Amino acid sequence: MKEILTLEHIQKFYGNEGNITEALRDISFSVCEGEFLGIMGASGSGKTTLLNCISTIDTVSAGHIYLGGKDVTEIREKELARFRRENLGFVFQDFNLLDTLTVSENIALALAVSKTPAHEVEPAVRAMAAKLDISGILDKYPYQISGGQKQRCACARAMINHPKLILADEPTGALDSHSAQMLLSTLESMNREMKATILMVTHDAFSASYAGRILFLRDGEIFAEIVKGKNTRKAFFEKILDVLTMMGGGGSDVRQTDF
Amino acid sequence: MYARLIFRNVRRSSKDYLIYLVTLTICVMLFYAFLSISSRYYRPDLGTEYDVTVLSDGMKIAVCAVALLLLFLIRYVNGYMLKRRQKEFAVESVIGMEAGTVARMFLAETLVMGALSIVLGILLGAVCSQFVTAMLLHDYGQDFELTWTLFPDTALMTAGFFVIIFLLVGGANVRTIKKIRIIDMINAERRNEPPLKKNRFMPVVTLIWLFVLVWMSVSGIRLRYYYFDSRFDVPVHIMFWANILVPAAGALCGAALFASGKRGKQSCVAFECAAAILAAFSNAAVLMMRGPYMLSYDAGIMNKYMLFLLADMLYLICGIVYLSNSGLVSWKEKSPENRYRGTSLFLLGQITSKLAANTKTMILICITLGMAVVLFLISPVLTGWSLGYLDVRSLYDIQISSRYNDVMSEEDLYQGDYEPVTEVLREKGIETAEECTFSLYLPEREEFHSRIKWEFPVAAMSLSDYNGIREMLGYEPVSLGEDEFTTQWQSIASEEEKAEFLTEHQQVGTDAGVLSLAENSCYEEPIGETVYNSYTNVVYIFPDSVCEDLMGVMRNRYIMTERPVPFADAQEIARAFAEVYPEDPGESGSGEGMRDTGMQYTIRLNTLQVNSLLANNFMLKAVMTYGGIVLMVICLTVLSLQQLLDASQYRYRFSVLRSLGVEEREIRRLVFRQLGVWFGLPVALALVISCVVVAGFIQTFSAEISAYIGAETLLMQLGITVLILAMLLVCYFISTWILFRRAVGEAQ
Repeated sequence: MKEILTLEHIQKFYGNEGNITEALRDISFSVCEGEFLGIMGASGSGKTTLLNCISTIDTVSAGHIYLGGKDVTEIREKELARFRRENLGFVFQDFNLLDTLTVSENIALALAVSKTPAHEVEPAVRAMAAKLDISGILDKYPYQISGGQKQRCACARAMINHPKLILADEPTGALDSHSAQMLLSTLESMNREMKATILMVTHDAFSASYAGRILFLRDGEIFAEIVKGKNTRKAFFEKILDVLTMMGGGGSDVRQTDF
Repeated sequence: MYARLIFRNVRRSSKDYLIYLVTLTICVMLFYAFLSISSRYYRPDLGTEYDVTVLSDGMKIAVCAVALLLLFLIRYVNGYMLKRRQKEFAVESVIGMEAGTVARMFLAETLVMGALSIVLGILLGAVCSQFVTAMLLHDYGQDFELTWTLFPDTALMTAGFFVIIFLLVGGANVRTIKKIRIIDMINAERRNEPPLKKNRFMPVVTLIWLFVLVWMSVSGIRLRYYYFDSRFDVPVHIMFWANILVPAAGALCGAALFASGKRGKQSCVAFECAAAILAAFSNAAVLMMRGPYMLSYDAGIMNKYMLFLLADMLYLICGIVYLSNSGLVSWKEKSPENRYRGTSLFLLGQITSKLAANTKTMILICITLGMAVVLFLISPVLTGWSLGYLDVRSLYDIQISSRYNDVMSEEDLYQGDYEPVTEVLREKGIETAEECTFSLYLPEREEFHSRIKWEFPVAAMSLSDYNGIREMLGYEPVSLGEDEFTTQWQSIASEEEKAEFLTEHQQVGTDAGVLSLAENSCYEEPIGETVYNSYTNVVYIFPDSVCEDLMGVMRNRYIMTERPVPFADAQEIARAFAEVYPEDPGESGSGEGMRDTGMQYTIRLNTLQVNSLLANNFMLKAVMTYGGIVLMVICLTVLSLQQLLDASQYRYRFSVLRSLGVEEREIRRLVFRQLGVWFGLPVALALVISCVVVAGFIQTFSAEISAYIGAETLLMQLGITVLILAMLLVCYFISTWILFRRAVGEAQ
């Protein structure tokens, strides 16, 4: 399958000469089109830094990141916004919805800023809402709906422009287990049915078990990589736990959930 | 620990509330500067003929009254701070702090910020008071010298006044904080306001307006009943009917729309706005037609219609702001192509989420700003008018005159020479340089009983008396042939009025025969306004021989003294005169045959006139300027804070936009447009309304303005004022824009 994201020897240092923190130490991997990749790791392992570098919010100290064949580390500051708008979709832990707009307007905003013709906006929003099962709440404001609904709304906004890559940063972090499960199913269906390429950062083993492949980060390096393959999700979950145990202290990242 | 917390909060808040602090400091500074005139220690060198004590008491009351407006600003900003800080209060309460302690800490915080602005304001006020003194000395025609003084009584009063205001507002805050539940504090920031259409403000305002319309209509009926005459011209007929029908139609249709459930809806408000415009024209006609058509209603009616006019304007402002805001919402709903164009959706969301509260604030701001602009613009007109009027009125050091308006019998007319005044002058050692005592005659004896306003006869004076006065004032004497007459005009008379009068009066019939108009038919040099009969702007100049046969009805005496009369002596002369000659026709004087004759006597002493006029004029100017600046600054501060205080919310919203891939340039444009809407709409509306008011004012008093000020001088003064206002506005807008951009940009 075609590679959509490629990272080559990515390094990221913080601090000055006397006191350097190495957040990422020589990371290389690639993501293929239509893949659902999970990135796991404990706090401080560098997973959010990695996500920020891929999403062009932060810059790398060394190495190259190619998205759709384009080196994002070479893109000029002025063009970054356009690049993000056209190629990336975001799902954040705290939803990042605008409280001044209704759910449908929040989704429409992503289309409007990418200059979609006005008459195409509403049908597109309705179609996306139907796929993500949020048609009933389109006219509600974010403060009137639940966390799970908010996050599905954020997913719809991320998907609406059909970006090359969707970056999800702890998307279930602020949700209860039921809402989390629903959201993960949504992400899974987005990946399976809409062929969305998803890169999800999480420290929760259960959430990670929905991905097709998982990279484990420790101290800024890739510690391990596992692929779901033909495994059931339960078996994959067990594998994840094994890796976490191997990494040490993985038990705390297990969520008791029925499969 | 608490003290540390308070000071840290102050330090953090002072960044957010910088504009508020600057405004407060400006207000304290102006308060101190204008109040410094009333200080016991204030002794400007004005000379013996001037006295500033008249000024000080008036100033004290006026400045404090205007400063009370600040209560609104302080209350508003504190309310806002309270709302913003509720989450923090919730945390403090949750960790076990009592509500009282939380409230008192907030009070201490606001007091510390207040104290800072008081101290700074007083120090700056000491500098600014120099400008006020310069203004005062300039008005009194003296030279200005820079002196640095801090008046302890004024400083104490300023500090006391503002501390009381802060405590009052603080007390209210403490009560509010104690009442809010923790859960409401936690959720305070999350909710949007209810939409504008569900807001009750406009329906309530419309209901009140309907009652005003009913009152207006009833007043119109009464006005027509008491003052209408079928002989009036057509425009007057229209005016009387319009004042009954327009408000009646507005009230009836409005009530029907209101009852049919459309209350507060756009159609009802739009209809009532149209009614308000028509009612404003009808009401203004009542005010403006009184003079030209000699309508006889009194000042009470004029005041009532001025009030109606104000009500029309207020409703119009409310209506326009409401309509433009609700129009924006419907436009957003109905026009997807505009809604989904670029970042419009975001901008519309920003605006509509605050529409209900902002509509109210915008209306208030629009009204206050309009008031400020009107104050600024009218102040030069009023002060110029009264100064120009002084030149016309106070030409002589002492000016004694009489009126026969209430005299019924010819024997009661006064024919003396005001001898008691000569004695008083001698006693005081005031030497007379020149003087002229003369009579004003009626051309025909039978006109003596014409006492209806527009039938008052034009009076006449003899040529020798006229030349005597002209000589006193340094004008060339005039000459007349036998059987000829000429005219002398008040400066307020318009050219058309003069031309019309002279064409109609080529000949004048008198008890001593018919006189014809001389070649030089019209003199316009100011000679004082007491030579004209009541309600007339012209006096005939007849040959002396003719006047000998006419009936003298008024007796005047004009005196020029060697040196200016000192203030104290002038007061005593005025008192001595009033004892002998009654000013009110009902009173009896103690002088020669002054019993209840109906004659009215007036003495005008230049010293007293100049003094009271300069004092009043200065007070008017100072209070209007002060009031104008305070109102303007309050409005601009509220406008700017309204945006800046929400910056924390905006920061988040703009960061979401950034993550969606919106460029910085677009974000800057959005910020500009958002501020443009919130600043632009109220300011533009206030400007339009105040221009209409000022234009109406200038139109109504155009004769006085061209006579006493001059159109060019006025235009220049207005231009300067508008420039200063524009500069103030631009300063506030730019500083808000910069601060806002910084606040929003911090997300990066």
